[in-house]
Amino acid sequence: MEMKNREIVIGIVGNPNSGKTTIFNALTGARQKVANWSGVTVERREGAIIRGDYRIRIVDLPGIYSLTSYSIEEIITRDFILNDHPDLIVNVVDAGNLERNLYLTTQLIEMGARVVIALNMFDEATSKGFIIDTDRLEKLLGMPVIKTVGTRSIGIEEIEREIVEVAGGQSDKVRHIHIQYGLDIEKEIKEIQSKIWSDEDIGERYSTRWLAIRLLEKDRDVERKLRNYPNFDEIAEQAAESRIELEKKFNDDIETILSDMRYGFISGALKESTAKTAPKRIDLSEKIDKIVTNRYLGFPILFVFLWALFQLTFSLGEYPMRLIESGVTQLGIAINGLLPSGPVKDMIIDGIIGGVGGVIVFLPNILILFIGISFMEDTGYMARAAFIMDKIMHKMGLHGKSFIPLVMGFGCNVPAIMATRTLESRQDRILSILINPFMSCSARLPVYVLFAGIFFREHPATIILSLYMVGVALAFLSARLFRYVFFKGESTPFVMELPPYRMPTLKTTLLHMWDRASQYLKKMGGIILAFSIVIWVLGAYPKSADIAERYAHRMNELRGAHHAQLRAARKKGVENTAGVKRLEERYRRDREQLILKKKAEEKKITLIGRFGEVILPLIRPLGFNWQMGISLSTGFVAKEIVVSTMGVLYHASASEDPEIAQNSLEDTLKKPEYGITPLIAYTFMLFVLLYVPCLATVVVIGREAGWQWACFSFVYQVLLAWIICFIVYNIGSVLGL
Amino acid sequence: MKDRTGYEDLSFEATPLTAPMEDYIETIANLSSEKKVVRVKDIAKKLDIKMPSVTNALNKLKEKQLINYEKYGYVELTPEGEKVAERVCNKHSCLVDFFSDILRMNLKSANEEACKVEHHLSPGTMRQIQRLIEFFRSEGESKRKWIGELRAILDERRLSDLKEGDAAEIIRLHGSGDFRKRLIEMGFRKGVKIDVVKYAPLKDPMLIEIKGYQISLRVEEAKSIMVRLREVSDSGDEE
Repeated sequence: MEMKNREIVIGIVGNPNSGKTTIFNALTGARQKVANWSGVTVERREGAIIRGDYRIRIVDLPGIYSLTSYSIEEIITRDFILNDHPDLIVNVVDAGNLERNLYLTTQLIEMGARVVIALNMFDEATSKGFIIDTDRLEKLLGMPVIKTVGTRSIGIEEIEREIVEVAGGQSDKVRHIHIQYGLDIEKEIKEIQSKIWSDEDIGERYSTRWLAIRLLEKDRDVERKLRNYPNFDEIAEQAAESRIELEKKFNDDIETILSDMRYGFISGALKESTAKTAPKRIDLSEKIDKIVTNRYLGFPILFVFLWALFQLTFSLGEYPMRLIESGVTQLGIAINGLLPSGPVKDMIIDGIIGGVGGVIVFLPNILILFIGISFMEDTGYMARAAFIMDKIMHKMGLHGKSFIPLVMGFGCNVPAIMATRTLESRQDRILSILINPFMSCSARLPVYVLFAGIFFREHPATIILSLYMVGVALAFLSARLFRYVFFKGESTPFVMELPPYRMPTLKTTLLHMWDRASQYLKKMGGIILAFSIVIWVLGAYPKSADIAERYAHRMNELRGAHHAQLRAARKKGVENTAGVKRLEERYRRDREQLILKKKAEEKKITLIGRFGEVILPLIRPLGFNWQMGISLSTGFVAKEIVVSTMGVLYHASASEDPEIAQNSLEDTLKKPEYGITPLIAYTFMLFVLLYVPCLATVVVIGREAGWQWACFSFVYQVLLAWIICFIVYNIGSVLGL
Repeated sequence: MKDRTGYEDLSFEATPLTAPMEDYIETIANLSSEKKVVRVKDIAKKLDIKMPSVTNALNKLKEKQLINYEKYGYVELTPEGEKVAERVCNKHSCLVDFFSDILRMNLKSANEEACKVEHHLSPGTMRQIQRLIEFFRSEGESKRKWIGELRAILDERRLSDLKEGDAAEIIRLHGSGDFRKRLIEMGFRKGVKIDVVKYAPLKDPMLIEIKGYQISLRVEEAKSIMVRLREVSDSGDEE
């Protein structure tokens, strides 16, 4: 990036489903940066290109229908235009739906923004029978109008040319026009403007005409912006007076009056510049919709799609996952041979390589899930799925589109939480993210299988199913609670457009997929890795030289005793192999036992082990013992670890070899001296279901919703887990279960 | 009976039949005015009833000497049957007029509703309804204005009351606040045509088409949109 380049900042603005993102992608290619708008859960995408002497910085703004202060997305777009002073706005407009799309354009004109219109999906509009005279439209709107097809990169070069021309002030197509509101309204606008002019400062920052119109429409955000100016009261008074005056005169409310005028302007312009002939082809969308949203077929089709998506993501995804896992193990083994033993080696193999493995192991799932979701979204099926599921989801205080991320949560919460990005509204997104961890992910299954298999031998499947149901029920209740507590009174009406079905291009889908994967690696990978190393350190240190020495000594003793026994046996003439074999076997068993004891003792003195003991008073009321406490603590990294930690703590061999694993974890847990009853086992499974799913989930929530929500969700889940388990354990005890 | 408006005195006398039997008679009468001959098959199709049940019912009507009917033959009303049929049809058409002309319901639902109530109203009630219709139909300058007002009120529907496939036109938006603003900005304005494409499988939300694009709305939200039904014939592309 040479310094002589002048920088142009442009914003891309358009309705949802206008193909805004395809234009953005076509302009910037894969060179994109993704972040969130400061403080809010709305994606901010940016890219940059060099054209001639210019460096063009392109910001993709959220899809919106209007620029009032109705939603966070609208405020973001508006603030971008007001505060970031973009040189130019590219307004992407669906050529087949001009009337509604141009409404936003009229508001951009009002704000005084310089605009280039991308008349997108022009091919589709033509086949629908629309004839658009772009030259005429350019003159009427006072801005360049370019025909584009974003998915096929048609018209992109022209857009780039216009950007440079308009931003450089060389375009002869730019003419600043006013939307005329008629004498009565114009008079009132002037009145308000004259009050605003009394403070020069305001006029320098904003277009006064725009402010006057916004104030007339009772725009809360504009009121907030002007509140601190000394003449605000005067302005507000005038605005209120004018509003009352006009509403009386037109016998209607102000929003209707003004929007009628804007639509009047639009239909006037369209009458002069467009015509409609008979469509060239029949509407395929309607035919597909007849089947896909059919009363009887709608749900089965949705479930088939979901099932396929789930299977692809988690079953097909398992193969690359296993490859990654074994690759990581191989790497560990390779390094093991290269480095001398010591803390550095442990750190590299168990801490870093293990941590990296823990990060990339999610990658196949994320890639496949996002190919699927991107396909469903780009074809338009997602909107249909939301349409048929909305009634059920609405009962939970959610949006129809929350359904797919929730179902994906049964596979893995990490990609599922990332999938909530399909939700446009911030509150719907946060709600869906917060309840997602209650969808019991596949990593929790091994814990259920172990405990249900031991303590509910008769009907393990029923028990496991009941856990899934408890998760869903608590998700349901939590969603209602959160909606009530955090978003009370905030309306989220379900005004969702069902766009016509479109065939997505491979490029868009792949770009989308790559985008998610790279974001995951960049934004979350580092944090997950760092946390994993921290937790590994907590789980491995401090080490005790005393234990090592003691066990080395005992090991020597054992070996000595074994050899002595062997010698004694030979001397006695016990030559038969069976006797020797028995001795060998016993030795191996004892040795294994000793190693496990050592590991358990080591684990107990590590920081996590101590933590597990410290929290013992807290988990006693749930019927848990210290082994369970430590297992749950280590399980924070990932639920798979719960089982392996238990294995260590109960001196049970994790080995599959029945000769060595004479005392398997299954048998050990059953032993009466550990005091685990079926009730405690069930309570433990409940706790595993409800408390934080894994480190990666917390990080993803932090990244997607904000760290305050991640902290909240952490505390909420742990508390809820404790309370539910306390209730279940105590009621169960009273009932004598 | 005096008839102040001077219209013909229709007979609404009660028939000796049960409601389903009245339906049979009515159907036979309607079919015989449409076709030369009436077959059991036609009746079964029209009433959506199985053939054996129809045959059963026809036998009963035959016993009452209201129809002539031989097995596998045509069905024909007897003179006595014609009289009964006329009474039933009088009621029906009077009610259809009432529902469609005065209550401003569309013809299809007016017909359906008429079929449901026609068997249960007494001749006295029917006569009162008939008078009301006649009053509405008679000319009169003074009446025109308030009849116009009444019709405007009765023509109003909540969008959520519409059925799949209904074509309508927006009259106004109730309520206030952001949601209303959003609708206005999306082009929901007075006089704009709006069609109900379908309801979701669980009857909520509903899918509507406006200005050439499709939008789903929750039924609860659609209640605030007041519309007037348009006859399908004027849904043409005059725009």
